Amino acid sequence: MSSLTMEKSSRLRDLTRLGFWFTLLIGFLLPWAIMLGVETWVHQVPFARAWQSFTLHLFAPGYNLFLVGVLTAVPFVILAIMILLHLGTVDSQQALIARRRVLGLLTAELVMLTIAGWTHISVLIHPDAQGALAYFYLPALLLLSLPVGYGLGRALAKALVPRVTA
Amino acid sequence: MTDTTTSSTLLTAREITLHLTGLVLLLGLLGLWYWLSTGARVVPTLIEMLKDDDPSTRIVAAEQLGQIGPAAKAAIPQLVNQATEDGSQHANTTASTALKWIDLAASRRVMTHFAMRLQDSDVQQRRTACAVLGSLGPVAKPAVPALLTATHDADALVRRNALIALAGIGIPPGPVGMALLAGLHDSSSLVRQTAVAQFAFTVPVSEDAAAALTPLLNDADKSIATLARTALDKPKAGDAAHLESLGMMLGHSSARDYALHQLAQLGPAARDALTPILPLLDDDHPLIRYLAVETLAGMGPGAQPALVSLKQRRDSDPIVQAAMTDAVATLESGIAPSPVSAAGATPP
Repeated sequence: MSSLTMEKSSRLRDLTRLGFWFTLLIGFLLPWAIMLGVETWVHQVPFARAWQSFTLHLFAPGYNLFLVGVLTAVPFVILAIMILLHLGTVDSQQALIARRRVLGLLTAELVMLTIAGWTHISVLIHPDAQGALAYFYLPALLLLSLPVGYGLGRALAKALVPRVTA
Repeated sequence: MTDTTTSSTLLTAREITLHLTGLVLLLGLLGLWYWLSTGARVVPTLIEMLKDDDPSTRIVAAEQLGQIGPAAKAAIPQLVNQATEDGSQHANTTASTALKWIDLAASRRVMTHFAMRLQDSDVQQRRTACAVLGSLGPVAKPAVPALLTATHDADALVRRNALIALAGIGIPPGPVGMALLAGLHDSSSLVRQTAVAQFAFTVPVSEDAAAALTPLLNDADKSIATLARTALDKPKAGDAAHLESLGMMLGHSSARDYALHQLAQLGPAARDALTPILPLLDDDHPLIRYLAVETLAGMGPGAQPALVSLKQRRDSDPIVQAAMTDAVATLESGIAPSPVSAAGATPP
């Protein structure tokens, strides 16, 4: 068992705080940013018009982009709470455990962002009648990918971190 | 934060609590934003949006006002104006659709305006008139005779729009069904395809319709053959399991208008759904009450148990009240209305 220096402990503390708020904000903003990005870069709509259309459809029946954003954000809120409780409560003397948890949570976040980003872009670029169903399945898929991504990260950490600290 | 440097964990319990409080505040702000942007609170903003130069803004505003329902009464003058005067047909139809959820009398004013346009010399006016009348749905029932005439228009697009409108109105089911059946033999393939599509997706398939659709399974036009297959695969009008599922849908606010509209087109066959329909006579939405009354009237003798209740009621909406008076007269006369399959049904 190795102990963390004060500086390393402080960095991990900042990482936990940053990770919590970054995860919350990206969870809410990712779908909306993708919608604006696809309109602007893929459909070549001027940003001002894309923004006007976006705000117009935020609460419009049949679109409800606000609800789409909230649905996508739910798993990220859970991940943020997990960062706070799982990483924030780690013993500051347990460097190895802290690093493994960081890698686990980071991998889970990357997996979730990839799935969420890919789904939103696919729905917007290839729209069809059933496309909107993806928005309802996405939270469940992201919730499933959270433990999978975390396990993957922990497995990676188990393989890599001991060698780094050795 | 000096205690964090001496804490045994990365974050202290106090820090974790503060972060969770921040999360709750963030969620609360989002909830507040949603609350302020929906419901009757947003009606004044939406009325302003109806005056926007951009048609898409006017269309979205009308859709949102329709969703709000009777609480958006302040928007009626602007919506009637959009329904009747706007240069965009999509803006006309979305405003009409919104109006039927807000005020039935205003919907009937729009109906009267466009029923007269069905004889306009300008073909585009006739096409738009059909589209708007269809968007009003069953509220536009008095316009059915004029729309039946429009199904013989010289212009194929007018005939197509008239069939879509009739299917959207749906009642009385006899004349509507006959017009759609006639549409299956129209000289224009576009009109024929539209008629089959109505059986596939909008109106119940009666025995007569099933008999007329069966030969179309071998139609040279593959899209017509596919639509005919879809229509024939649907549950038949009066199918017990289908009636039961429609009855269950009446309990769900998002599906009850569809379920009621389907039941209203089934005529006496809808009598098994009488029990779940009765509470809808007290619904907040006049359109739902109107549909419930029309469904009861269509049931004929099967709705006799509801007769006393209908006679005692006084509805605040004049259109619903008039429909109720007609329904009582129909039920008291004891004449069974024409079922969905009836050929040669009584005119509206």
